[in-house]
Formats: sequence, structure tokens, C-alpha cells
Amino acid sequence: MSDYPRAEFFALRPVGGISLAMVGLGAAGIVVSSAVVLFNLVTEGHSVFGTSNDIPWGLPIATYVFFVLTSTGLTFVASLAMVFGFKPFYPITKRCIWLAVVTLIAGFSVLAFEIGHPFRMIWAFPTGLQARSPMFWMGLFYSLYLVLLLLKFLTVHLGDWDSPVSRGLGVASFVTVVLAHGNLGALFGMMAMRPFWYDGLTAVYFLVTAALSGVAFAVLFTYLSNGVSRQQMPENLRSLMTNIMPGLFAAVLGVTIVFMGARIMNGLWSNLEGLETFYLLLSSPWFHLEIWVGLVLPFFILLSPKLRGRRGMLLLPAALVILALFIGRYEYVIGGQLVPLFRGIAQSGFAQYTPSFTEWMLVVLGVAITSFLYGAGEWLLRLADTPAKGHGALQAAE
Amino acid sequence: MGKIDLMTSRRRFLQATAVTGAAAAVGTVVSETVRPTPSEALAQVAKPETKITKNTCHQCPARCGIDVYVTDGKVHAMYGDLDHPISNGKLCPKGYMGAYILYDPDRFPGPMKRTNPNKGRNEDPKFVPITWDEALDTIAGRLNALREKGEPHRFALVYGRGWGASDAGLMRPFGALYGSPNVGLGHSSICSDGSKKAKKALDGNEDYNAYDYGNTNYMLNFGASFLEAFRPLNYNLQVWGHIRTKSPKTMVTVVDVRLTTTGAAADRNLIVRPGTDGALALAIAHVILTEGLWEKKFVGDFIDGVNRFKTGETIYPASFTERWTLGLIEWWNAEVKDRTPEWASTITTVPVQDIVKVAREFGTTRPAMAIFERGPTTHTNGVYNGMAIHSLNALVGSMYAEGGLMNQMSAPYGSLPVEVDAYLDDIAKAEAEKKMPRFDKVGSKDWPMAKAMIQEMPLHQLKGDPYKLDTIMFYMTNPIFSALDVKAWEEALKTLFVIDTSPFPGETAMFADIVVPDHTYLERWQDAPTYPFQGWPLTNLRVPAVEPIHDTKAFGDTLIEIGKRIKGPMGEYYEKLEGVENVIRHLAKGFETNPGDNGVNGFESWAEKGVWYKKPYLWRQVGGEFFEWDGMGYNKPMAAEDVQKNCFKTPSGKFELKSSYLEAKAEFISEKLGVAADRVGFPQWIEPKYTGGGDLHFVTPKTVMHAEGRSANLPQAVALYQAVAGGRNRTYLEIHPATARKRGIKDGDKVKITSDRGSIEALARYISTSHPEIVVLPFGFGHWAHGRWAKGRMSGNANEIIPNVSDPIAGLAAFNTVKVKVERA
Amino acid sequence: MTRWGMVIDLEKCTGCQACSTACAMENSLLPGENWQDVVFYVEGEYPSGSLHWLPRPCMQCENPSCVAVCPVEATYKTEDGVVLIDWDRCIGCRYCMIACPYGVRFYVEQVQLTQPDTRKVFASGDDDKVWAPPYQMPEAQWNPNRGVGAAPKNVVSKCTFCYHRISQAPKGTVDLDPSDPETRDFTPACVVACPPTARYFGDLDNPASQVSKLIADKHGMRLLDQLGNRPQVYYLAGKASGIPGTRKERQQAV
Ligand SMILES: Nc1nc2c(c(=O)[nH]1)N[C@H]1C(S)=C(S)[C@@H](COP(=O)(O)OP(=O)(O)OC[C@H]3O[C@@H](n4cnc5c(=O)[nH]c(N)nc54)[C@H](O)[C@@H]3O)O[C@H]1N2
Ligand SMILES: Nc1nc2c(c(=O)[nH]1)N[C@H]1C(S)=C(S)[C@@H](COP(=O)(O)OP(=O)(O)OC[C@H]3O[C@@H](n4cnc5c(=O)[nH]c(N)nc54)[C@H](O)[C@@H]3O)O[C@H]1N2
Ligand code: SF4
Ligand code: SF4
Ligand code: SF4
Ligand code: SF4
Ligand code: SF4
Ligand SMILES: [Mo]
Repeated sequence: MSDYPRAEFFALRPVGGISLAMVGLGAAGIVVSSAVVLFNLVTEGHSVFGTSNDIPWGLPIATYVFFVLTSTGLTFVASLAMVFGFKPFYPITKRCIWLAVVTLIAGFSVLAFEIGHPFRMIWAFPTGLQARSPMFWMGLFYSLYLVLLLLKFLTVHLGDWDSPVSRGLGVASFVTVVLAHGNLGALFGMMAMRPFWYDGLTAVYFLVTAALSGVAFAVLFTYLSNGVSRQQMPENLRSLMTNIMPGLFAAVLGVTIVFMGARIMNGLWSNLEGLETFYLLLSSPWFHLEIWVGLVLPFFILLSPKLRGRRGMLLLPAALVILALFIGRYEYVIGGQLVPLFRGIAQSGFAQYTPSFTEWMLVVLGVAITSFLYGAGEWLLRLADTPAKGHGALQAAE
Repeated sequence: MGKIDLMTSRRRFLQATAVTGAAAAVGTVVSETVRPTPSEALAQVAKPETKITKNTCHQCPARCGIDVYVTDGKVHAMYGDLDHPISNGKLCPKGYMGAYILYDPDRFPGPMKRTNPNKGRNEDPKFVPITWDEALDTIAGRLNALREKGEPHRFALVYGRGWGASDAGLMRPFGALYGSPNVGLGHSSICSDGSKKAKKALDGNEDYNAYDYGNTNYMLNFGASFLEAFRPLNYNLQVWGHIRTKSPKTMVTVVDVRLTTTGAAADRNLIVRPGTDGALALAIAHVILTEGLWEKKFVGDFIDGVNRFKTGETIYPASFTERWTLGLIEWWNAEVKDRTPEWASTITTVPVQDIVKVAREFGTTRPAMAIFERGPTTHTNGVYNGMAIHSLNALVGSMYAEGGLMNQMSAPYGSLPVEVDAYLDDIAKAEAEKKMPRFDKVGSKDWPMAKAMIQEMPLHQLKGDPYKLDTIMFYMTNPIFSALDVKAWEEALKTLFVIDTSPFPGETAMFADIVVPDHTYLERWQDAPTYPFQGWPLTNLRVPAVEPIHDTKAFGDTLIEIGKRIKGPMGEYYEKLEGVENVIRHLAKGFETNPGDNGVNGFESWAEKGVWYKKPYLWRQVGGEFFEWDGMGYNKPMAAEDVQKNCFKTPSGKFELKSSYLEAKAEFISEKLGVAADRVGFPQWIEPKYTGGGDLHFVTPKTVMHAEGRSANLPQAVALYQAVAGGRNRTYLEIHPATARKRGIKDGDKVKITSDRGSIEALARYISTSHPEIVVLPFGFGHWAHGRWAKGRMSGNANEIIPNVSDPIAGLAAFNTVKVKVERA
Repeated sequence: MTRWGMVIDLEKCTGCQACSTACAMENSLLPGENWQDVVFYVEGEYPSGSLHWLPRPCMQCENPSCVAVCPVEATYKTEDGVVLIDWDRCIGCRYCMIACPYGVRFYVEQVQLTQPDTRKVFASGDDDKVWAPPYQMPEAQWNPNRGVGAAPKNVVSKCTFCYHRISQAPKGTVDLDPSDPETRDFTPACVVACPPTARYFGDLDNPASQVSKLIADKHGMRLLDQLGNRPQVYYLAGKASGIPGTRKERQQAV
């Protein structure tokens, strides 16, 4: 560790308006949304959610899945340099680790408000040890992962990028998050009674889409922190964002599209009861927004050398993909529950679900936490550090 | 609660374990993986006493005996009484919700006085609590004033679900003493007077039948919703499990205007056009006769044994010797000979081959029974439909046979301690002299044959014909919601001083000037003799399970208390009568000499068991011979006079296929229904006169989870409500998808249902099994009062748009004869 | 070892829902919290349409997916074969609701189908209880560790096979017959209630029990057997060729 120059722990960095705005808006968002949610939960209880016995899991769970898979993906991106040795990714590695922490905290926070007895988890998980439950393992691994991520960030923050401890932490967090997300995949994929989810490859599907959201977040936030343009980026970062990122982004996006396409074709073709949700999806404008605008359009932008060279043209696909992934998580989580298990006359057609205001407030909370913590990190924690350069606060000042 | 505490106290299993102590209790619990916890240990300590009290379910008229469980002073459960012959330990779904009724948070906490003089749906009555003394004095004051003015007839007491001698039974004496012919006007003309009248015409018994379901092998059911409403529903549900799994299995054919659960569970469901059952039944009779399937031992036969029943051919009456029927050949000649399946098919929409098949099955399976109730009779031609159906029971010889039909015997009650005649004062006598017409005009030239005419009362009030009432009191009826011309009821009640006795803030109560709330059934003493069940006599006793939770009074006591406040000998009569409990004690004296099969021989044992009954039914027809029970068996042959006295109570002592009862009123029937005077006596086809002016038949049946005005405010019931199927939380207008699409109506759309009486709204539900020309809106929702859960269920009250037209013979309102228009709202 | 099981004879079942209301009463259920529900299906067209129904309690699976997924082991299987919820452990994550193929689990904190909300009308003074209607189960019978009694807030509930009743049956009881005064009080409420006696209850592990015999003689079938949950509730379909489907009316849906 001591091989590296030590920097102050918190380095107040002159930051752009964007980061400040993120901190300010984020803080406001956290205060307002958590106040609203808390008030409603205390006065009304969880029935302020739009969930029902047909749709026990609603928008907050989709939001949770969105954030934790994003965190997963960000760890993948960070691991490219730290675990797999793709050095060109160093310029965004620390940022990604921080973002992984931030999004994971956002996800967990949303979940904490969603669950009936969040505090019980603390003692009930360890004393229950229900080894057959993917949720148990998911909880275990994601908690472990959070600890490892924080440690990893700390070591990096302290300037230790590749001591054995630091490397070990990187590998460990990578492995844990693969396990965690694998269990999240299993959590849905093992549900044989819900054909929309039932799929041995769910973990792989989650892997791919997690990677995609990791890449999209990495791109989006790197841009946001560099004044939206590549011009202001340091050379190594610009080179990464110009030469490598578009290709990687396109590749992951391409694989995602293939995966999604296969899933949809499969779903539309099959007669299995419970899969008619795919037909319902076809009739939803959100689905088309997701597929065509959120995935296919960015793919073509990324494939076109002319387009992706333009100013900000990596930013647009990143933003669109994030939107698409959010819609996708919603469709995925809700979609699995839309065909009622028993469809009598009282419940013909699909189950109905409309997220309530409080549930939307939890989305706001997740976004606000991400925004606040990321902005604060950008401000205080030298997120642009790379191993070569020591610490980014100095670098930015150059 | 009553002065004595007789409640059976049975220790539940809880106490059983308590006695043996916690350690032993653990031993009896099957071992399990549960982690022992403090709360479990706690559970072992506190062992409250659970008391079981006998009562009678109140949600429908079926008279199911119940065990009411009370722990810590709270009613928390009820189950069917295992020793009650109707319940047999079971209840229908409504029965379990009694505690919710008792603890309905919208109940009146005590007597109330209206302070808002304006009445209307949107007028808050602004009730203020008053004392019982004030309430009773106010009522008695009005009643005394009317008497003093010589107008006691301007007081009416209207009731619906009367239970027995200790409530409805108190009304006639009250009327006589007070001097009004309008005390105790019933609601049977919106209920089911049609089937009673059809039976009166044919077999002389103006009553519903008792049935031996358990032994029948064929049930031909015309619109009696056997598994949803038909009385006694709980027993029907029980016996269904038996008849459908016994050997031989009882075949069931259902004739209805829609697919009911009964129809679905049956072997066959035939959907007819509303009001056309008579045509179908006549065609079945036609097939039975032409194919020689009638029960010859009961009906008789051609002298030479050759079947001369040939379609369209008249028969010489003397060629046939009848046994227990009267007028078969005349009936054939006048009616049945032309009533072919082909003819009936065009009227009913039932395919010819189905009619023939059913007729052959029914004609060849013994014992068989044809049952019906409101379905075929809530039409302008109701009594004739009913007669056509009931005559099938004669053709197959099921009257008084095993597996057939009987009549209900009554319980041997003791007499009341005071004689009415001794307490009639001059006013009462003068009124009796005057022979004031009844306010519902029953017995007048308009309704000479009806038993009640509740649905006409608001029109009478508004027109002042026969006169205007001054004060009206309601007991267990809410015609402003459940009868017809409900808008006229609203107007009429504005002109009246209204007393409601309901514990609940129903529609009537919203128009009341004073409310004297009854105890709920779990808080009161009340006798309740059975509705027709299996013939042998049975009568229940309601025993309070808990002290009244509000400042309420049993209706019977309210009436008695009012009586005590009437000046003159009437007040003395009621002082002597004391109260309901005293009345019941005197009723129970009848059991002293006539103990029931369960040993009940007086008040105490009656209260302990909750029921007195005595099997068997005394009369039985076997192969065309009638026998009386002699203590061992049906061994004592009956003479024709005995049969007439106990069974066929017609002038001829026969099952009259040419009804002398109707012929006696030939002129009236002829005038009202256009039937030639010489034909009025025959079961026959006359067309229903569809009302409403629409193009779709509109049917408003009952459903299993809902009972009259008594379950609309139970959130649990509402949540479980399934119309025919589907629903939950609301009812739907059930409509065939093609019919709906033609009108641009999507599944779930709000629709407007319109007749020439107005419009209501409801939500549409595609039901592909519906007849395309028939829409169904289950009765019961559409309340605009009656408590917070009853209101606002997104369905209008069907009775707002059903024209007030009745079958002239029985006076039964033709609820199901209406046609409506349906469009998107 | 006793392994409790239920048999429901669909040939006898009248679709009356007495089982549902008796269960609601016995177990102090919220409106819409239908531990025992009857699901109705309409099929076909006038004049040949048909109507079917299926009474559906918790299947008390031999291989319960709800137990498998519960991350805190709040849902567990007893040795006598009943799946219960420990309300003192349940974290209200609702994964079990997702994983139960039969849709028989309920979160006590949902928008109530029937408004006004009874949880408000019969609000509980006790902060931990969802509600306290006057007619609730006597406190002495409550057992939160078995999901019996007035439910606390934020947990999931489900049919307990009336564990507070059946667990009191003398050891070795084979049939719980509601028409026998000796066993009536130990018999589940819905079985006691069922008017046509379409429901039977007893020990599946005892080959001489009534339920075992019925399953053998009348071809007991299990719902959605392909999922492998191995329900301990069996259906007798009688002349109906099978248990009504569960997700019918696809056309209507799409
Ligand atoms: N669940 C429940 N049970 C009850 C009651 C209740 O309110 N709820 N009320 C009790 C009372 S007071 C009564 S009077 C009885 C009444 O018992 P029912 O007479 O059995 O009941 P309804 O529902 O009035 O009518 C029965 C059937 O007639 C059908 N119908 C309508 N028109 C026709 C027709 O033209 N032909 C034929 N064949 N069928 C037709 C309807 O579709 C309905 O299925 O029920 C008693 N039991
Ligand atoms: N469209 C349509 N209309 C129908 C029918 C139908 O099938 N379709 N059915 C008809 C039939 S068969 C009948 S019998 C009538 C029934 O109609 P009603 O004769 O009006 O009887 P309920 O609706 O039961 O009304 C009972 C009244 O008694 C009150 N009440 C409830 N419990 C108690 C109590 O314990 N004590 C007292 N004192 N009052 C109490 C209630 O608040 C309510 O006001 O409706 C008829 N109307
Ligand atoms: S049939 Fe049902 S509602 Fe009617 S009295 Fe019996 S249990 Fe009560
Ligand atoms: S039916 Fe559902 S809740 Fe019941 S044991 Fe099976 S999986 Fe669990
Ligand atoms: S909701 Fe409760 S019982 Fe269900 S899985 Fe979660 S912790 Fe277990
Ligand atoms: S066994 Fe008990 S808890 Fe389960 S459905 Fe039946 S009544 Fe309800
Ligand atoms: S109580 Fe019995 S007959 Fe009625 S729906 Fe339930 S299982 Fe069927
Ligand atoms: Mo009635």
C-alpha cells in the first residue's frame, strides 16, 4: 500500500455543476421521497402499495432488481481491469466501484422499504439458514458483496490498486457478485409454476443484462462527470471511451438483443399457459419503446462509426439503454405474475397492477440515493483516480 | 338476556386439555418441528370458558339450527347444530357470518328519532338517540290518537320474514285489539305466493311442499335454485351430496333461464325463455300421456287398458277411470292434446329432442319429482306455469309417495295465557263491524285471490285509495328496496309517519321517523317453526347467546310494550301477556304432552336443544293407496275422507286437474287473463305479458352468498360474492358476448339497463353460457343505504326498473317478466 | 407418524363456498384473505356451456415450494405434515407467495378488495396486530408461531389446516369426522362446514384411513401434479373427467 502516494481521504474537488446538482437534487429527493414513503407506511401500512395477492411483487422489486443488477454490471466493468487485467479500463474502474456501491445501496434501500419486516432480516436470516432458498443466498452474497465492495473501494481509495489484498478483494467481490446475481437469477428462474420466468438460463440472462446496465451506467456517469463531452476527458479515458467502450457496449447490447429476441420468440411461439404475457407485452407501447428505442436504436448508433463519433453520441445510447433496462426489469418482474395462477371467472384475463404513488416514490428514492451518493463521491472521493496517476484530484487540477 | 340462564355450556377441546394440565396437553399434541416459544406456553395457561348456545340462523328462512360459540363474552364462531334435523351439523355459506351481523359496526346503538323533516335518498335523517320510553310513548301516543279519532285502520304494521308465534304471531291479535285490519300485512306477494297458489288450485294446500329428496331418483327442477336459494338451502346442499352419490344416482334436470350452479352440477340444464315453463311442462305431460308413462296406480287408466292419448285427438271421458286425479281427460281434451314437444320448442327455445328425452326419463324413473318456486311463477302467467309443473307430480304418482312430495305439519304449541276476545273494547269492535278494506286491497275485487299485495301499497297511499295511512311500522321487510315501484315507496313514505324496527340502517330506516331497533337474532328469544321441510313437525327456539350489545329490544317486546301503552283493555291484555319470554313459555307447554323425538318436553329442554321435532310424517301413498302411520309403519289404510282431510284438501278430495278453486273465480280470471271461463280450471299455457318495453329478458335471481336484506353489509360476504360465478366485491350484469358486442359493450364495461320505468347502471360481464336474449343481474346489491359496505357496489337496484305488474291470481309480482334495453353507459 | 391430508370430492361439491366462509369465521380472516377459495370457470357457449368450480385450500404440499424459498425459515413443515408460518419470524418478503403454485398465500397488508378497510374499522389497539374484530378467534387459541389467530402486521398468512383444531386430536387419530361428536371439534372448519360432505380429513400415512381409501377407490388426483409439490389435498373428480384447469380462457385473456 505504501508504495503509492497517499492522498487526503476526502479531497474536495472542484466539481462541475452537474455533480453539485446531483448532490443537491439527490439530497432533496431522498428527503422528500423517504418522508412520503415513511409517512404513508406508518399511517397506512404496506397497503399503500399497489400490490395484491396476484401481484405480490411490484415496482419496488423491479427497482431493486434494476439497481442490484446494475451494481453487478458495474463490478463486471470494474473487474475488467482489476480482475482480468484489461488495463485500458483503469480510468473508469474506481468510478465503477463507487457506482456499484452506490447502486447497491440504492437497491437495498428500496428493498428495505418494500419488505414487511426489514429489521427482522438481521436476525432471521442468520438464524434461519434456509439453504434451499435462493433469496437466502442472494441476501447472503449481496451483503457480503457490499462489504467486499466497500473494502475494495477503500483500498483503491487509499491508493492500493494491485497489492495481493487489493487484488484478492477484487476477485472476491467479482466472485461474490456472480454468485449473488446467480441466486437472483435462480430466485426467478427456478419458479416452475411461473413459466414466464422458469428458465435455467435466467442467471445467464441476468449476467448479460447486468453487464449491459453496468456498461451503460459507466458510460453515462463518466460522461456526466466530464462535462458531457469527450473533449474534456483525459487522454487515456478519451481513448477508452472512443476506441474500446463503443465496441464493448455494442457487443453486450448485441448479445442482450439476441437474448431478448430469443426469449420473446420462445414465449410467443409456445402455447404453455402462463406465457401469454408475451402477447400482452406486444400490445404495450412501453415494450416497443424498450425494444426499438431503448435497445435496437442504440445498437445501430453504436454500430455506425459516423454516429458514434459525434459529440455526446455515446451518452444517448447509454441513457436509452438504461431506460430500456428499467422498463425491462419492470416487465420481467411484473410479467411473471400477470397470468393468475388460477384464472376463474372472477379473475379472467390478466391480473391488474398499477404502481401506487408510494411505489413511484421508492423509485425516486433509488434514483435520488444514486444521484446523491454518486455526486458526493465525485465531489469528495477522487473517482477518476487510476493506479498510474496516483490521485485524480491532482490530475483534474492540471 | 332472559331471566334464566339456560345456556348449555359445553367445554370445547380447549378445556379438555386444560383439565389434564399443560404437560398432558403437550402429550396430546402431535409432536412437530415447531420451536417452543413463550406465546405457546402462554396459550396453555389461559383457558377461557366457551359456551355454546342454541339459536336459529337468520339469514334466510330455512330455519337451520346453530351452535353459537361464545368465549370471553364474545361470539366468535357458529356451526350447524349436529343434532338439528335440518342442519345436521352443517350450514350454508351465509350461516357462518352471524357474528359479523351481531357486531356490524353500522347497527343502530339504540332507539332513534329523526330530526330532519325532509325525506329522500340524499337526505340525512339526522337521527338523534332517544330513550325507549320516549320512543314507545311517541308511538303509543300516535296510536291512541288514531283510535280516538276512530281511525285505527290508518295504522299498518307490515312484515316480511316473520319467524313464529313470538313475533309475526303477535300481529293479528294486536290488529284485532287495536282495530286495524292492517296489522300484519305480509310480503309474500313479492316472495313466492305463486307456487302456493298453484298448489292450492290443484291439491288444496296453499303452502310450499315438503319433499323427500333423499329417496327420489329423478328431480325435474323448474327454476328452483336448489344449490343457491331454494328452501331449505342448507339441507338441499347436504342432500345433494347424498343423491348424487347414492345408488342409483338421482338424475337431475334443471330448467332455468340461465346456467346456475344447480344447472351446472345437474345432469342437464335446459335454458328456457322466461315465463314459458308452463309450455315445457305441458309438453312433458303430453309425452308422458301419449307414451303411456303415467303412474296408473295413482292416476288410473283407460277402462280397456288401451292408451288413447294420441296427439290432437279428443277422448271420451268415460273411457278412463281416474283414481286420485280429477279431470284428466277433460284436461287432455282442452289443453294437453295439442301441447306437443314441437309446439313447446318454439315457445321455450328448448330443442324438441331434449323435451322428449326429459319427458321419457321423468316418466319412467320412479320416484320422481317436479319442483319449482319463484322462477316459473314470478310472471304474469305464474300460477298456470306452476300448475302445469305441479300436475307432473300427479302424473308420475309422487304425491305423498316415498321420494315424492308432502305437506308440512305444524308444531303442537300451547295456547297463550290471554284470550283476545275478552279484551276487545268498543273501538275495536266498531272497527271490526265496519269491515274496513285492507290497505293492500287483498280480498277486494282487484285482488280477490291474493294473500298479500305489498307491492301495491305505495300506490294506494299516493292515491288515497282505499284510504291514506297515517302511521306505518315495518318489521323485517324493506320494500322500498326489495319490492317494486320503489320510487313510489319513497314518495309514499314521505307522507307517512314511519317506524322501523330494523337493527340496521336500511333504506326503510332512512325514511323512518322513529327507529326502535330489534335485537339481532343472537341476542333474542324467538320461536321459529320450520318452513316446509320433510313434513313432520319441527320448531326451533332462538336463545340469546350474549347480552344485547346495544340498547335494543326484541321486536315482540316492542310490540307488547306499545300494546301496554294503548288505553283501555288492550293495555291490560298486554300487561297479562308480559313479554316474549312468557309467550314462548306458554308455547312450550304444548310439548309437555307431546314430547319431541329429542326429548324436548318444555321450555327448558327446548332452550337446551334449540329444537323440538317429531318424526315421522303421518301419511303416505303407496301404489295408489293411502296409509297412515300407526306407530310402527304406514299400515293403517286411509279412507277417502281421511285423504281429503290430511292430503288433498280440495272439494273433491282429489288432485284436481280441473281446479274447482279457480273455477269458483272464473269470471275474475277470465277478465284478467283472457282465459275462457270454462277453461280456467285447467293447468294451461297462457302467454306471459312481457313488460318493460325492451328487447332483452332481464332476470334478477338470488345467489348463495347473499340473503335478502341481511348480508349486504358484511365485508367478508361481499368479498366472497360470486354472482353465478365471478364477481368478488360486486355483481355483474351477465350478458352473452355476442349480445354485448352487438351493442358495443366490452367485458367489464359500465352499462345502462333501461326499461319503461327508468334506468340503472351495472358492470357487464361476458358469460358465454348465457342465453343471447337473456341478461342476468343478481338481486341484492344496489343498496343506497344499509351500511358502509352495502352501499356503492357499482350496481343499481334492479327493482327500480322492473314494472310493478303482478299475476292476478296469486298477486305475485312478475319480477322476471320484464324486458330491458342494455347499452354502454 | 400422522400425515394429515384432505380429500375433496368434486362430484359432491356444490360450489356453495360454505368452506370459505367457515374458514374466514374460524380463523378471523380479513375480507379477501381467502385461505379457502372456490374458483369458478365458465366454458363453452350457450346452449352447451358449462360451469365448473374448484374449492382450493392450501395443498399442504409434501414438497412445499413455499418452504423451500422462504429465506428465513418462517414457513416450515410440521412432522404431522402441515405447512405453517411462524409470524414471529416472517419478514414479509412475499417470496412464498411467488413460489406457491396454488396462489393460497396472502399478505395481510394489501389494499382491501372490499372497502372501507376493515383493518381501520376494527382497528387494533395493539400496534402489532392488523385488526381486532370483536368476533376474532379467542386469544387462548392464538399461536403466532403457527400462523394461528389474529394476524400481526406485515406478514403472510395461509390455511393452517386449522392447526389449532387438528393438533388437539388425540394421538393416533386416523379420521377426523365432523359427524362424530368425538372428533368434530378437532376437524378443520371447512370440513365441518361442507354441507354435502364433499370434504374428508384424515391420516394419509394410514392406509386404513378414510382419506386413503377414497384416494385409492375413487382415483384421488392432485392439482398441478406436474409441478412436483405433491399436495396433501386430493381431489375426486367423479364423472367429471378431471380437475378443472387452472388457467383457462386463454382467448379471453389475449
Ligand atoms: N341464498 C339465498 N337463499 C334464499 C334467499 C335469499 O335471499 N338468498 N331467500 C329465500 C326466499 S325468501 C325465497 S322466496 C327462496 C326463493 O328461492 P328460489 O325461488 O329458488 O329463488 P330465486 O332466485 O328467486 O329464483 C330461482 C330461479 O328462477 C330462475 N328464473 C327466472 N325466471 C325463470 C323462468 O321463467 N323459468 C325458470 N325455469 N326459471 C326462471 C332464476 O334464474 C333463478 O335461478 O329462497 C330462499 N333462500
Ligand atoms: N329483483 C328481485 N327482487 C326480489 C327478489 C328477487 O329474487 N329479485 N326476492 C324477493 C323475495 S323472495 C323476498 S322474500 C323479498 C325480501 O325482501 P324484504 O321483505 O324486504 O326482506 P329483506 O330484504 O330481508 O329485508 C329485511 C329488512 O329487515 C331488516 N332486518 C334485518 N335483520 C333484522 C332483525 O333482526 N330484526 C328486524 N326487525 N329487522 C331486521 C333489514 O334491515 C331489512 O330492512 O325480496 C323480493 N325481491
Ligand atoms: S340455509 Fe343458510 S342462510 Fe338459510 S338458515 Fe340455513 S344456514 Fe342460514
Ligand atoms: S399450496 Fe402453496 S402454500 Fe400451501 S404448502 Fe403448497 S406451496 Fe406452500
Ligand atoms: S413472506 Fe414470510 S413466510 Fe413468506 S417467504 Fe418471506 S419470510 Fe417466508
Ligand atoms: S383447513 Fe382450516 S384453515 Fe385450511 S381452508 Fe380449511 S378451514 Fe381454512
Ligand atoms: S363447502 Fe363443500 S360443497 Fe361447498 S364449495 Fe366448499 S367443498 Fe364445495
Ligand atoms: Mo322470498
